[in-house]
Amino acid sequence: MNLPNYFLAGLPPDAELTPAIVTAACETLKRNREKYLAGRKTSDIVTILCEVAAGWLQPENKFRRLALEDGPEITGFSRAVLEKGLNDFFRQFTPENFAALLKQDLDEEIVADAAVHETPTSRHFWHGPPLLVHIAAGNIPNPALMSLTLGLLTRSAQFMKCASGASFLPRLFAHSIYDADPKLGACLELAEWQGGNMWLETALFAAADCVTATGSDQTLAAVRAHLPEKSRFIGYGQRVSFGFVTREVLRDETVADIVSRVADDVIAWDQNGCLSPQVIYVEERGMVESDKFAGLLAAELMKHEMTEPRGRISMEESGEIASRRSLYEALAAHRGDVKIWSSQNSTAWTVVFEHEVRFRFSPLNRFIFVKPVPDLATVLQGVDELKGKISTAGIAATPEKLKELAPQLARWGVTRICPAGQMQNPPLTWRHDGRPALGDLVTWTDVEVQPQINTDGHR
Amino acid sequence: MSVGCGGKPAVNKHRMNKELSMFAARLRGLIEQPEFPAGKLPLGQHFDALALALFALQFKDNLAYRKICEARQLTPATVRYWAQIPFVPTGAFKELELSCIPPGERTAVFHSSGTTEQKPSRHFHCAESVALYEASLWQWFKAHFSGENEFVFLTPDHKSAPRSSLVHMFVTVRKNVGAGRAQFFGDAAADGAWTMDFDGVMQKFRSAGDDGRPLTVLGTAFSFVHLLDYLAANHLPFNLPHGSRAMETGGYKNRSRTMPKSELHALITEYLGVPGENIICEYGMSELSSQAYDNTLKRAGSETGDPSTARHFQFPPWARVQIISPETGHEVAEGETGLVRIFDLANVFSVAAIQTEDLGIRRRDGSELLGRAQLAEPRGCSLMTA
Repeated sequence: MNLPNYFLAGLPPDAELTPAIVTAACETLKRNREKYLAGRKTSDIVTILCEVAAGWLQPENKFRRLALEDGPEITGFSRAVLEKGLNDFFRQFTPENFAALLKQDLDEEIVADAAVHETPTSRHFWHGPPLLVHIAAGNIPNPALMSLTLGLLTRSAQFMKCASGASFLPRLFAHSIYDADPKLGACLELAEWQGGNMWLETALFAAADCVTATGSDQTLAAVRAHLPEKSRFIGYGQRVSFGFVTREVLRDETVADIVSRVADDVIAWDQNGCLSPQVIYVEERGMVESDKFAGLLAAELMKHEMTEPRGRISMEESGEIASRRSLYEALAAHRGDVKIWSSQNSTAWTVVFEHEVRFRFSPLNRFIFVKPVPDLATVLQGVDELKGKISTAGIAATPEKLKELAPQLARWGVTRICPAGQMQNPPLTWRHDGRPALGDLVTWTDVEVQPQINTDGHR
Repeated sequence: MSVGCGGKPAVNKHRMNKELSMFAARLRGLIEQPEFPAGKLPLGQHFDALALALFALQFKDNLAYRKICEARQLTPATVRYWAQIPFVPTGAFKELELSCIPPGERTAVFHSSGTTEQKPSRHFHCAESVALYEASLWQWFKAHFSGENEFVFLTPDHKSAPRSSLVHMFVTVRKNVGAGRAQFFGDAAADGAWTMDFDGVMQKFRSAGDDGRPLTVLGTAFSFVHLLDYLAANHLPFNLPHGSRAMETGGYKNRSRTMPKSELHALITEYLGVPGENIICEYGMSELSSQAYDNTLKRAGSETGDPSTARHFQFPPWARVQIISPETGHEVAEGETGLVRIFDLANVFSVAAIQTEDLGIRRRDGSELLGRAQLAEPRGCSLMTA
């Protein structure tokens, strides 16, 4: 990859990072922010972000080409999976979508010149953290790209600590921002090290005004424990997601479309994100039976393997898939209600059909459980142990049925309900784990309107 | 013994097949022959025939296994050599009754370790299968732990842990060496967690030091961690007499603290005074009747040994290991990694072909075990902790 060494993540592997380098980088970031970013208009930043995204959607864009050409080797995702994931992500970057996000989270009209919100009775100023630090997870790139985007909107200098081996796409994105506006790019820093390196992280946290962290509960607890008092902490812990296909859409004429959408959810980022389904619950008594649905899903995954192959996985992941498969093959030999479909001579995709309604953790990488259920209440029983840990429910239902289901899911605690096929493609306005991702970054100054001051000295 | 299995076999649901008993007795005779281990056990050339004969018997008498074989379309009529014999994943022992022993004749069961919430694997036994297990474990143990060392077991005995195949193994060792040379220092709490009589262990270590009698200290990796934590907290480094050994086995399933093997071994050396070449790792599980030991002692004695520090495990001649590619299901080439599959002839009354969830590397002189390696950093959102 021939890119200039703007970021620490681009240094040669033998260049050792030290706390002094991290501290100096944070100081430079803060200075650059004061000079180049603090005074920028939101509308300018949105314009640049939309230009950058439009670039990424052009086939000849150099960053896109690098991502697609070198990405499969570096990230392990196949070219087609990377392409679809990045396209879906950057297509969200439109002025309208940013306007909706700013309105929703900050009540800011995009035309406003400054971070000020006025009503007839009050004025409010919001401020982003001067230095925002991200501890990014390594599974899929989009959350890291989104974190950088939100930090630009809050006019924060940003230091992103990428998981080992996971800085490639965030770095390309940062380069594309640098390319579009070097001054904005100078307010970004990326580095890569194995999480939990307290030598480096103590220096980083000392400079941070706010830290976001994505990862396991242990990672979050460790980060939180090491933060100085002054640094705010926003943690995004592990979540799981499921799909629910309702009986009304399981008709002969619609099932192909539903199967294709559900397959898209399983295929996107090879099922590695928190928003990817691990289990698809299928409502019984549809025109198409649930086990037939599972068989159709298997056929669809097989078809997609030709065009969007599953990426490279580790021996641990592969071994786990093989172990789980052999167990379900053994069970299928005994129980008529357990079935398994899987790719030949590879672990590329697996569909397990079983009546046990309890949610099962999938070994991911396109290993999906399909479970028949009589109704939504049974689904909620099946995921009961995961209360507070469910992110997304991808629903295939008629509009009427969705109206009926959504309040039940919301009451139970699901934080995102989306159409099947869109599970890994949340809108910019998505409230991450139910919280406003942009709104949570800022702090406000409320200015209450002064009363009319009487000149006669009496109230 | 007949290998073929034509037509529909008669499954005797009430009484165990005599042929299995005969097979077990014959195998026991082979295992216990006095030439072993000094001479080459004449099992090698017969392994294939024994394996196929056993498969035919298990296919007939182990209904749960038979269904799995039939689903894979692998039957005694189609299988030609031992490596083709259908395997069963260890996980299936949690869900299915994979036994040739009719329920009424089962006298013991070994469970896999794990948390109480998890279903354990269940390996059912009867008097004959236990006798074979004991013969198998003792012969191979004896081959690795010669000498006059006293044995210190850090686990409970069978009264406190009747379903542990490891404890049964230690009890068998004690039976063979004599109660005067072997002692248990563990117990099981009401919740099943294993505890240790630290005072007793300390006393034993001190008296061994006074007498200059070497000890062999045996336990799970976790029990060693427990002991080493105690020794560290109380500043009690020991230097056990020359010739002392340690045998550690197994992982840390769902325990509070885990430690890389190299670190554990360094601490055993530091706190017990047992050098690395006298630390032997054992690999066994409730689903098997034979164990593997690493060849650390042999390596130490060989001048042209493998320069790598990796420990290569070897099973006895009546068990064979294959390292299987999880992607293709075929055996990997030397030096490659895959899932560990074991064909254990001593598993006469259950299933001989077992596929574990452990990863290993195929080596010329055995296999290098990697265990269920944890990913360095969490990938994905599986929430899986173990």
